[in-house]
Amino acid sequence: MGIGIIGYGAYLPKYRIKAEEYVKAWGNFSAPGVMEKTVPGYDEDVITMAVEAARNAINCAGIAPDSIGTLYLGTTSGPYGEKPLSSTLLAALTGNEDVRTADFMGSTRAGTSAFLGCFDRIAAEGKGAGLVVASDIPLGPLDRASEHPFGAGSAAYVIGEGAPIAILEGSYCTSIETLGERFRRAGELYTRDLELRVNFMEQCLQKSIHGLLGALNLTPEKVDHLVLQQPDAAKSLKAVGKLGFPDKALGLGMIAAYTGDTGVASPLLSLAHVLDHAQGSERIVVASYGSGSDAFSLLVQDGIVQRRAQSPEVPTFKDYLEKKEYVDYLTYLKFKKYLSTFKS
Amino acid sequence: MGSYISLPSYLNTVDQRYRLVGKSCEGCGAILFPPRLICLECGQRKMEDIKLSGNGTILTYTVIARGGGPTEFDDLQNMTGDYAVALVELQEGPRVVGQMTYCEPTDLKIGQKVKAVFRVLYEQEGVIRYSYKFQPVA
Amino acid sequence: MVDVAVIGVGQTRYGTFPEKDMKELFVEAFTEALADVEKGIDPKGIQEAFIGTLETGGNQLGNVAALMTEQAHVPYIPASRVENACCSSGFAFRDAFMAIKTGMYDIVMAGGVEKMNDLPRERNRYWLGVSGDVEWERLAGTNFPGIYAMIALRHMYQYGTTKEQITGVAVKNHRNAVKNPKAQLRFEITLERAMNSPVLAYPLTLFDACPTTDGAAVAILCRGERVEDFTDTPIYVAGSGAATDYLALHDRKEITHLKAATIAAQNAYEQAGLEPQDIDVAEVHDCFTIAEILAYESLGFAKEGEGGRLVTEGLTEIGGRIPVNPSGGLKAKGHPIGATGVGQVYEIVHQLRGDVKERERRVKNAEIGLTHNVGGSGGTAVVHILKR
Repeated sequence: MGIGIIGYGAYLPKYRIKAEEYVKAWGNFSAPGVMEKTVPGYDEDVITMAVEAARNAINCAGIAPDSIGTLYLGTTSGPYGEKPLSSTLLAALTGNEDVRTADFMGSTRAGTSAFLGCFDRIAAEGKGAGLVVASDIPLGPLDRASEHPFGAGSAAYVIGEGAPIAILEGSYCTSIETLGERFRRAGELYTRDLELRVNFMEQCLQKSIHGLLGALNLTPEKVDHLVLQQPDAAKSLKAVGKLGFPDKALGLGMIAAYTGDTGVASPLLSLAHVLDHAQGSERIVVASYGSGSDAFSLLVQDGIVQRRAQSPEVPTFKDYLEKKEYVDYLTYLKFKKYLSTFKS
Repeated sequence: MGSYISLPSYLNTVDQRYRLVGKSCEGCGAILFPPRLICLECGQRKMEDIKLSGNGTILTYTVIARGGGPTEFDDLQNMTGDYAVALVELQEGPRVVGQMTYCEPTDLKIGQKVKAVFRVLYEQEGVIRYSYKFQPVA
Repeated sequence: MVDVAVIGVGQTRYGTFPEKDMKELFVEAFTEALADVEKGIDPKGIQEAFIGTLETGGNQLGNVAALMTEQAHVPYIPASRVENACCSSGFAFRDAFMAIKTGMYDIVMAGGVEKMNDLPRERNRYWLGVSGDVEWERLAGTNFPGIYAMIALRHMYQYGTTKEQITGVAVKNHRNAVKNPKAQLRFEITLERAMNSPVLAYPLTLFDACPTTDGAAVAILCRGERVEDFTDTPIYVAGSGAATDYLALHDRKEITHLKAATIAAQNAYEQAGLEPQDIDVAEVHDCFTIAEILAYESLGFAKEGEGGRLVTEGLTEIGGRIPVNPSGGLKAKGHPIGATGVGQVYEIVHQLRGDVKERERRVKNAEIGLTHNVGGSGGTAVVHILKR
């Protein structure tokens, strides 16, 4: 049987803002390829979105929440710098407190770090179920172009034994020192980006994907789906342009045109969408990015089609994508609490 | 400042607010939510935890306009406008008052089906208080 | 059996008085009550005091009853604060009644005082949500207006009560208050203006809600055998009924009916040996217009669900079959939370004595009166029947 992904879930808030709203407000919208992006409701945050995706993944896996033994949460934008988000998430899912939890933070690859960490843990244990959730609402300064692509979303995966949907073939992780590219000082609310002309992402993605393929003795044609970190709808495509992946491998994972930059959730949301369509025996390579890259390869199992049919009531990424309500720029600012002076 | 629910009091209700855990009376089977120490139907005290589904129906509701609600929700109201609060009869029996979210308050109807979702309720003393809210079911 | 009668009542104007603090308001009401005792009374004869107050505002919190009595120059007597939200002084009156009824004392005072309008607006509203279920109702986003609004909506849905009927209560009570120099809001309103005023909590608008008020009221009660020393027009307390209910709307079996008020009324009628049709005039708890309609039903003036009809048919106007809130009620006379109950007694006592100064407000031949005082969203209620 083996250990692998036994359930997954996605979540997108229902609000959207169109590129035109930014053009009306600022005269431009600096998010290449993004047509609209997701906006969290006023009473949603990283944890509430994590709960939604987690519940979907648990329902998809058909496990009891009490059976989760490991829970990892990845984000760059949680409401607390210190006070574990994963503890609140756990309490929202189960009354069981005998669980190993951890928050992964600090960059947009925190989601895949959590993902691989969870796999390692369950594989080492040889049993049990782990839950990994990536949830993000990146916040930037309104008067900078870097804020334009920021969206919101979450994705969750249950890792365990049984008849998995996909198994982990291998991974290759890199870490690089980046200076001046998207960072946030502790205590500050908004990310900064010095808009340097160095393309750290391109070098890094190429390195980790190359490393992964090498380690697994694979060539790009053997990859059916390539899922990349998407800070916008164009950058990552360009980054891997020279790597020789067929165009059709990239299509499904390209979601940023409709979601914007969903931070740590980006690659894992794309993965969820790919899994909704993948067939048995297909290979999916996922590569995140954030001052480094986690690249890993998943082999889809034959049972996936049947598994998908077993939980029709769990909303899919596409279901969330299609359930939308547009807001204007002023409402966008209000919902993301840019205008609240005395919140409490 | 007057009426204020202390953090320990709030923490005591986390099972209810986060996961809708109610009590099932071992004496008469009544489902109690929010929980209480003594069954209001039969007066017995032995109870078991039971997780509720969060599904329910609106018995009545109101739409709170500016100045009509408690100050904890002032920022919510300033930023999102009028919000609705409903008296919901949960499918397991008990009734609960809950704030509505993800809905157009003017579209609500008595008899509407709703489900519980996990949301930020309000903030106080720097601590975020999460709770269930209700969302209409299509 | 011991009889208990009211021998003197006093009440301040209701309104906003930033220059008057709690002590001054109480002393003012007390002074008027003393002066109202026809043949005079030595304040040192008062043997106990029950004082109702929710203590909103920034004032003395602990031992407030002792503060009020010593400021009123009646130190050393036993005194206690009674708190049951908006029916605090209704219960204070009941406590005073019982202290004499049990034979313990001969002369006891019941009072109430509230200072609401010395707070910043935000803090003011904070207090308007403390008397429903705080943990579950308030933290769902409703305070007073929200709970009564939900009751109103269900009443409309279940019985076909119309918004015009509900808001008609405000129109009537404002008209009555114009003639009451002690009232807070002395202006008439049209039904149209009231219906179109800003929404507070749908379906209730600003004009369905009573104001926040500063005020105080005091009543002096006396054992029946001694009233002759003090007055030739004692007003007897024929019945006192009180009850509680589940605090949260969601824990009550009935949403459209305040059970505590109904039980309190039934108990009062039973004690007095009277029925709803015997009542000549009533002061009821219209914190929101819908609450007056609920009062008609609790008091038996209308069958369940039919309270709205009384408004449409003008039956509760001053010249009607059963005049309700000739003072203007909470809506227009005002609602200084802790003082309201005794304030209602103040009005009824004057009506039954026949000495209401403003002729247009006098209810002719009023012999039996009733006060109906409710706490919060109906968690507590107390009803008194008074007679000449």
